[in-house]
Amino acid sequence: MPSHSKSSSSSSSSFPSDDNGSDQNPSSTSNLNPPSIDQSLDAIENQLASISMFQPDTLLEPGSEPEHESESESESGVNDEIREELVNGSLNKIEELPEKSARVEVVEEEVEEEKLKASSSRVWTNVSEMEEGEVSPSPSSSGYAGERGSSVTSGIEEDVKDDDDDGNDDEIVDGVTDSQAPWTPGKRHGDEDDASISWRKRKKHFFILSHSGKPIYSRYGDEHKLAGFSATLQAIISFVENGGDRVKLVRAGKHQVVFLVKGPIYLVCISCTEEPYESLRGQLELLYGQMILILTKSVNRCFEKNPKFDMTPLLGGTDAVFSSLIHSFSWNPATFLHAYTCLPLAYATRQAAGAILQDVADSGVLFAILMCRHKVICLVGAQKASLHPDDMLLLSNFVVSSESFRTSESFSPICLPRYNPMAFLYAYVHYLDVDTYLILLTTSSDAFYHLKDCRIRIETVLLKSNVLVEVQKSMLEGGMYVEDLSLDSASRPGTVSPQVSQSRLAIDSTERLRDVFHGVGGPAGLWHFMYCSIYLDQYVSSEFSSPFNSLRQQKRLFRAYQKLYASMHEKAIGPHKTQFRRDENYVLLCWVTQDFELYAAFDPLADKALAIKACNRVCQWVKDVENEIFLLGASPFSW
Amino acid sequence: MGMSSVSTGSDAMKLCVFDLRRGQNEGQELDKILFFYPADLPFSTQLSVIGLSEGLITFTRIFSPEVACEVIEAEMHSHVFYEAEPDIWMVMVVEKSKESEAIWRIEALRGVLKEVHSLFVMFHGSIRALLDKEPAGGLIRTHLYYFIMDYLSDFLTVKKLQLPNFRESLKQRGTVQMLTIGREVALEVQSLVKALESSAGSIQCYSLIMYQDLLVSTTLSPDDTVNLFTYAVLRLSPHALSSGVSSWSYLRKGNIAPDVSSGPVLPNSGSALDHNNGSHETSHVGDHRYNAMRPLKHDKWSRGKDGFLVADVWGAEVDRSARTCPAIWLHQTEERMYLCAYQHRNLTLIFLVPVTSIVSEEQGISFMKQQIIENASLKIIKVEEKLSRGWGGENAYHVSGYRYLLVDGDRSTSRATPPGKVTTLTKESLVALSKLREEVDLEKSRVKWDGVGREKDLELCIRAKNNAWVIARLTRGKELFLVLEKANETLLYASDAVEKFSNRYCNGVFSVD
Repeated sequence: MPSHSKSSSSSSSSFPSDDNGSDQNPSSTSNLNPPSIDQSLDAIENQLASISMFQPDTLLEPGSEPEHESESESESGVNDEIREELVNGSLNKIEELPEKSARVEVVEEEVEEEKLKASSSRVWTNVSEMEEGEVSPSPSSSGYAGERGSSVTSGIEEDVKDDDDDGNDDEIVDGVTDSQAPWTPGKRHGDEDDASISWRKRKKHFFILSHSGKPIYSRYGDEHKLAGFSATLQAIISFVENGGDRVKLVRAGKHQVVFLVKGPIYLVCISCTEEPYESLRGQLELLYGQMILILTKSVNRCFEKNPKFDMTPLLGGTDAVFSSLIHSFSWNPATFLHAYTCLPLAYATRQAAGAILQDVADSGVLFAILMCRHKVICLVGAQKASLHPDDMLLLSNFVVSSESFRTSESFSPICLPRYNPMAFLYAYVHYLDVDTYLILLTTSSDAFYHLKDCRIRIETVLLKSNVLVEVQKSMLEGGMYVEDLSLDSASRPGTVSPQVSQSRLAIDSTERLRDVFHGVGGPAGLWHFMYCSIYLDQYVSSEFSSPFNSLRQQKRLFRAYQKLYASMHEKAIGPHKTQFRRDENYVLLCWVTQDFELYAAFDPLADKALAIKACNRVCQWVKDVENEIFLLGASPFSW
Repeated sequence: MGMSSVSTGSDAMKLCVFDLRRGQNEGQELDKILFFYPADLPFSTQLSVIGLSEGLITFTRIFSPEVACEVIEAEMHSHVFYEAEPDIWMVMVVEKSKESEAIWRIEALRGVLKEVHSLFVMFHGSIRALLDKEPAGGLIRTHLYYFIMDYLSDFLTVKKLQLPNFRESLKQRGTVQMLTIGREVALEVQSLVKALESSAGSIQCYSLIMYQDLLVSTTLSPDDTVNLFTYAVLRLSPHALSSGVSSWSYLRKGNIAPDVSSGPVLPNSGSALDHNNGSHETSHVGDHRYNAMRPLKHDKWSRGKDGFLVADVWGAEVDRSARTCPAIWLHQTEERMYLCAYQHRNLTLIFLVPVTSIVSEEQGISFMKQQIIENASLKIIKVEEKLSRGWGGENAYHVSGYRYLLVDGDRSTSRATPPGKVTTLTKESLVALSKLREEVDLEKSRVKWDGVGREKDLELCIRAKNNAWVIARLTRGKELFLVLEKANETLLYASDAVEKFSNRYCNGVFSVD
């Protein structure tokens, strides 16, 4: 991460030059770029600009040296405005955030300009500190394999490498390989820009920019060096807009360019990952949501006051949050199912956790959420308040990807975009153990000590009732394994099933023996399934087992599900009722009803009739164990 | 009613052809435009369409150097791109709307662009060659204008252009529909082909025989067969000649096309195109100096007394010799061939002779016609009779209970449920099928760009909201699309139906076992 001062200075020097035509590029950065690229980008802009018959003034104005200064003046003006906003509380009192990631020792500060700059741009100082200092967080806490809750412990090292090869879209198209390090959150390849061949060959780019063409975020490369590219994206969007339309998608060979306009914020994804348009668009929506979660939608006002407002300082240090979210687009089904998943637990255990959370919720806490990695242990909301699964995804991503939360109890302002995009809530976050964390949400900015007390009460009860131990056990052994499914209806799995959690270890050896004789996967060639309950907003997916041993294979399955989901939920005519799809990799079956959606993957040679039977058995199985795999009684999201 | 008046006041469809190598300098952008429909749009609008296209072609090449922009999907419009020749692009912009019939499949629209370009090249040679011949561009603009406008006239319904939308999901542009014939007739046809060939003596020639709008036999390469077949169905077959009689072939709308009047239709276009290169005469569209050959003009073919088809005003008045026997370019060999067509009742024979092999056209052609009549007329009558006897009518290839499309990609052939039977399907089913085909199009293009060389093997079976089954099967270069309405709800039933169809009508190609 570049420091704030460094970034702002580089932005003021590189920006106007990129706004210019190709022939007037005084910036020294032009030396870095081979002229051909600049020219091609500028050519595009020129093409668009020269032909724009409608509102040429909305396109980029050529900057000039004097404008430099005025712009930097206006930037300080922006900061004044931000301060004004902050003081007026319309940004919900960011100034109350302490510099050090809203650490508890909040000192009531005088609002000095310097400090404000520092706090507004460095709200998450700790995060950036972590990135600079500790490049390799403990693998257990944020390692890729860990986050999946995968039960496969052997061969993780191999898998991680595999992940980087393919699991991360980090791969360069022609197999130009990258570092073999395990996935870590945060920006990578920050040295690249649009002139780099490697940058152009990245499989999946994400960009956030402002409607004036200023870069806000780029997954790869230095935002400031991408100013010219960003201006091009803006030119495309506004050109189509000036023609009275809105560009959604551009397709070229394997590449898709997906656009999403959210007021003054433009989001763009450029991908050759073969994901459907709807999925990529959904990912841009989530990316926008993640930004709102950090800043609230009132950031729009800054753009109303100054269209050239530079937002990058406000998001400083949050690269890890975005990169972690983008990473989850390739492994977390919640990103397209719009449902959350629970850690499998005995009904009584979850009840015990729920009871104590309910207790605190009654004392002025809006939401109390106990989670383990990306899985929910328990969730309680104040009366009538309900949490959208997307908000949960964004919130847990925010917490899990910010290392500072792990090291100390924290209190920070966050916004739940689906709950109220305009206002901040305050999140008290505390890790109870290495994977398990508690989030308490409140509307009150001075509830820290109260929430701390609540947390202590909750922690005490959880320890006493052994919930945390059970959570650990479930992490290791829990989940549904397709191998445990029986097609024989006589041997129905009971409610205290061997399939879920506790007794998994006990039957493990015999199960594996069975595998030896019956080949991979479950009966009828069933390899994997996901079951999503519509009313509960929750899904459960079976644990990965053979043949999904590598992350590459897991990601391929993930993408296949994603495609299947998009196909089933085709906007014009969907949702469809049933789908059977056979290609060289799988047989996929999908079944959408009013109550649930089932996605199942089989051996490509699976017999149709048997596969259908297996799906029915899966549904029955899920029903049989629903009080262990789902959080029942939680109010579903409904407005 | 002229074509240009149709478009006035509505931007339902725009179609342009432009050359990226032209108009590089500022102020000369108009020079890029080789064709624009509707022609009466202000130049600023025309240029903005082309500017956006060009911008995105350049932009997408940053990431995808091999394949530039193929489609822009905006909220209200789809922009379909086709690079017809290197740096020569065709872009079609269609309005979309969920309520109306404006639900498109991109590949179907691109098929229209491909088709009109292939036909153009067949008659005029490549666009680039014409540009090289006359760099000012007047020649190519004139040819493109008449050709594309004549072509588009086939899509004209009462008030507007109706491009292939979701209702044509059980059709495949760019393929040939074959007549199935028995062994005995096949031998007769074979002997007829031999007789035709012998009429040309030692000259290498080609023939194509059609019964009604179906192909019976061809000695041309697959590409040339598709082009010539397409043209024959559009303008030469008995249906095409008796205009007003509705045809059941997808290639013909069955409506009477309006006349594209010459020159004056383009008052703006002519003068504006001049504006840039400053030469009024050379670039005036519809200028009579140019040989405005209009092979797609309606009602210009008729059947002569001798059974040969004659083109009435083929080509310009200047070149009278070209009237009776037009020439085309073969795609495969790039040879120029005279096109002779003979019609006996429902049988159409097309006969191609190399231009180079005939010294004097007038004499050479008439001599050959005479030879054909002498050698083959009996055989023609016999074959026509046999085919008529075995002909099952326009619903001959209907399979009750099924609505289907069967495409053989390797042979560029297709067979489908007759259009009259397709209309019984609900809109929902057809939209579902259109979307399914779009998915299949994407899968196919991925395989193509992956360049693995393997063919996609795919089975896709969807039960839609309206309970219809829409099914796609791809295997070994063959594709089968099915819609089953009022079918049983179980997947096994649907699979069984596919299996039965495959076994009975596709030699079991799509059967699982």
